[in-house]
Amino acid sequence: MRHVRFVMCVLLTVIGVTLAAQQAAPGAQRAPGEVKPSPAPAIDLSGYWTPVMHEDAFERGAGNEIADYGGFPLNEAGRLFALSYDPSRVTLRHHQCEGYQAPYQMRSTGNFRIWEERDSRTQQLVAVHVYGQTTEGHRVIWMDGRPHPPAWAPHTFRGFSTGRFVGNALVVQTTHLKQGWLRRNGTPSSDQTTMIDYFLRYGDHVTNVTVVNDPVFMSEPMVRSNDYARVPVDHQAWLYACDDGEQILDRPPDYVPHYLFGKQQYAREFAQKYNLPLTASLMGAASMYPELPAQARAVANPDAWFSPAPGKPPETSRAVNPEPRDGQIHVLPVRSNVYMLVGDGSNIVVQTGDQGAFVVDTGEGKLSDKVIAAIRTLTPKPIQFIANTSARVDHTGGNASLGAAGQDPSLPGSFFVNSAPRGVTGLFTDPLSHATMIAHNNVTVRMQARNAPADAIPGDTFLEERRRKFHNGDAIEMFYMPNAVSDGDSIVHFRSADVIVAGEIYNTTHYPVIDIQNGGSVHGLIRALNAILDRTVFRHQGEGGTYVVPGHGYLADEQDVVEYRDLVVIVRDRVKALMDEGATLAQIKAARVTADYDTRYGASTGPWTTEMFIEAVYKSLRGETGTK
Amino acid sequence: MSTRQYSAAWTAPILILALTAIVTAQNPGAAPPGRAGGAPPPRAAALVDLTGNWVSLITEDWRHRMFTPPKGDYASMPINAAGRKIADAWDPAKDEAAGEQCRPYGAAGLMRLPTRLRISWQDDSTLKLETDAGTQTRLFHFGPAKGEGGDWQGISTATWDYPRPIFAGRGAAGPPPGGALKVMTSRMRPGYLRRNGVPYSANAVMTEYITRLDVPGGDSLLVISAEIVDPEYLATPYWTSVQFKRQNDASGWKPTPCAAR
Repeated sequence: MRHVRFVMCVLLTVIGVTLAAQQAAPGAQRAPGEVKPSPAPAIDLSGYWTPVMHEDAFERGAGNEIADYGGFPLNEAGRLFALSYDPSRVTLRHHQCEGYQAPYQMRSTGNFRIWEERDSRTQQLVAVHVYGQTTEGHRVIWMDGRPHPPAWAPHTFRGFSTGRFVGNALVVQTTHLKQGWLRRNGTPSSDQTTMIDYFLRYGDHVTNVTVVNDPVFMSEPMVRSNDYARVPVDHQAWLYACDDGEQILDRPPDYVPHYLFGKQQYAREFAQKYNLPLTASLMGAASMYPELPAQARAVANPDAWFSPAPGKPPETSRAVNPEPRDGQIHVLPVRSNVYMLVGDGSNIVVQTGDQGAFVVDTGEGKLSDKVIAAIRTLTPKPIQFIANTSARVDHTGGNASLGAAGQDPSLPGSFFVNSAPRGVTGLFTDPLSHATMIAHNNVTVRMQARNAPADAIPGDTFLEERRRKFHNGDAIEMFYMPNAVSDGDSIVHFRSADVIVAGEIYNTTHYPVIDIQNGGSVHGLIRALNAILDRTVFRHQGEGGTYVVPGHGYLADEQDVVEYRDLVVIVRDRVKALMDEGATLAQIKAARVTADYDTRYGASTGPWTTEMFIEAVYKSLRGETGTK
Repeated sequence: MSTRQYSAAWTAPILILALTAIVTAQNPGAAPPGRAGGAPPPRAAALVDLTGNWVSLITEDWRHRMFTPPKGDYASMPINAAGRKIADAWDPAKDEAAGEQCRPYGAAGLMRLPTRLRISWQDDSTLKLETDAGTQTRLFHFGPAKGEGGDWQGISTATWDYPRPIFAGRGAAGPPPGGALKVMTSRMRPGYLRRNGVPYSANAVMTEYITRLDVPGGDSLLVISAEIVDPEYLATPYWTSVQFKRQNDASGWKPTPCAAR
């Protein structure tokens, strides 16, 4: 009896203390609204979760109708992009396996699994992993305080996420996203999108709130929420395999399904089917707020919402310029022994190994000393080869300096040095004092024509479509891309590292340059972009795999190039359609044929403006070419 | 054991339990207002500040929420056969004639309508939420429920919610900062979950978690995660989450009467 009483006393004491501890009032020590980050996990999200489809089930299941953009704060560019979108675009093989951008991933229909990653020694939280069954969308939310990558780092569908616990929420910031969609009827989300999302847990109910900022396609943030219910067991279906393949044969390689502005014949069906005001779903941010019905019914000219507003000057890019302007050279490891050097105008690529460095392009030449210093941090070997993808000054500006800093030990005693005439530039005469510079012959011709210094002009030229070299353990191929940006463009493929250097043919910062005077053409440019895509292999869900180094901008992959190729094809088609109707260049410019891309790539000043791009497309289509 | 020994043995745990009961009762999530001493009243103990002016962001179920959908359009909603039967018989003219035009504005449907909110403390233990759509008022009572219910907004009881362990573990750091307002609403007059007559019954119970999110460098958001259980018309619990954006003033506040269409 005595023993029982003792046990009862202990039990009651424990229960009492426990209850008291549970009832401690957290708000009593703080002012209302004061919420500070928690150093330790405030909630545990681990487990299996299934999305609850009680909202937007149609969107997340069968898919919305064309022109159902209601509730999306699309700006004019976003609306026009969506109206131009043809769902058949996903039949193109390079689009078939694309993953979902993180905001859309969180709305996907498949199950989710969340788990923690902890340091095995300290047990500190390193990351929270959120894995979506659909597209095998795996988000890694870093919790260890690491910084986001630099602006020139690659973008991915899931982006780069860091998190912290604030109050009862896991707050996540995501950058470096790929272009994707917010709704799969073409409602776009650009590669400039950033997202802050919140994970809230109430028992077996998790709410994920996504706040999406897209300066390119939206006029204000987009807020949505997704609900998930806890699932007690593993449903064991986590994969989402995809290989692309051409299902519609004989389509030309420069075909991209889209609708010309104002010609989307299904754009009115949505409003008609549900008896809505015609413009209600097109009115962008206004469509989110309670006043919408009255505003939509008051629209005087609904048809105007289906085309670019006439007479409006072109918008300019709202994208972050990923090129640092800090006077420094930044090194980004690409893969294995290939590096991207950023900071001196165009991107520079360096391959290292037992032999001398192989350099592709040399930038503007303003920071050549720092470029050379950066290369010396990567390899003790001298620069042996310099390949130029173009004659443009922003790709060859450092030729002389970098050339003089190198040497080509493969040449002394060779036929070239001992027996051959001096050649065009005489660069073979003293190979131990100079790197060998390689380019298509037209590069040399163009540089000579502009009286470039002799020691900056490539002396090792080629005329054929493919130049090859095995160097530093890798097969390096240069492919000539005739009449693209100019008549001298090449791409360089490091086959083992699987890195393609695109030169000026592909950029993430501006509309493609088409230098008509120097032999460029829109047709050649599209061919060149497709030639890159012929060589890329994505790793998974349309991304990763082959890296593509742009002339300017962030390190890219196949999906980035595909979107850029689409842009060029679509703008070309629009210009051509207007030319076929007899429009003049002035009328084509006034029609704002790039209106859905200007907030991403547009420029009204500088060396390459939107109007120059349109004019170059127009002249290409008229058959105007530069003299060789 | 003597009586004295017996009493001494039980005194300590009984005292602890009694103290615990007092502490529990004084918890801001459960204590009735005005109790002398102990924890502050719910208003002072608020985990988050929900007061102010808010405007709904209709970014999900847009067509169904921004406009009145056609009869029989109950996509996404887990209603059962009885619920479908009611929804298929929706007749707004009949509702108007019967003075039932506020059916879409009952608590279970109200927060999903395009509306502005005005949230304020009615007293130290009652949070008041007003909508300009339908000119409705919801009262969230901390402590025992007040009133009989049976009207559009029913009876709502509120507590401050945060993750709590079942047992206090060793080394537990205590409750985290922040939290949500948990509101349980029942005894509602039957109304519509969707404007087009998708019903909920008088037996429906709604649990809401109301959270404020201050977006870095951006807006403050009010997020309401809701679960509605209705044994009469729903086949499963109905889960939704809606969001509102904070306004600095009452601009746009435009009280309108209930409308059945």
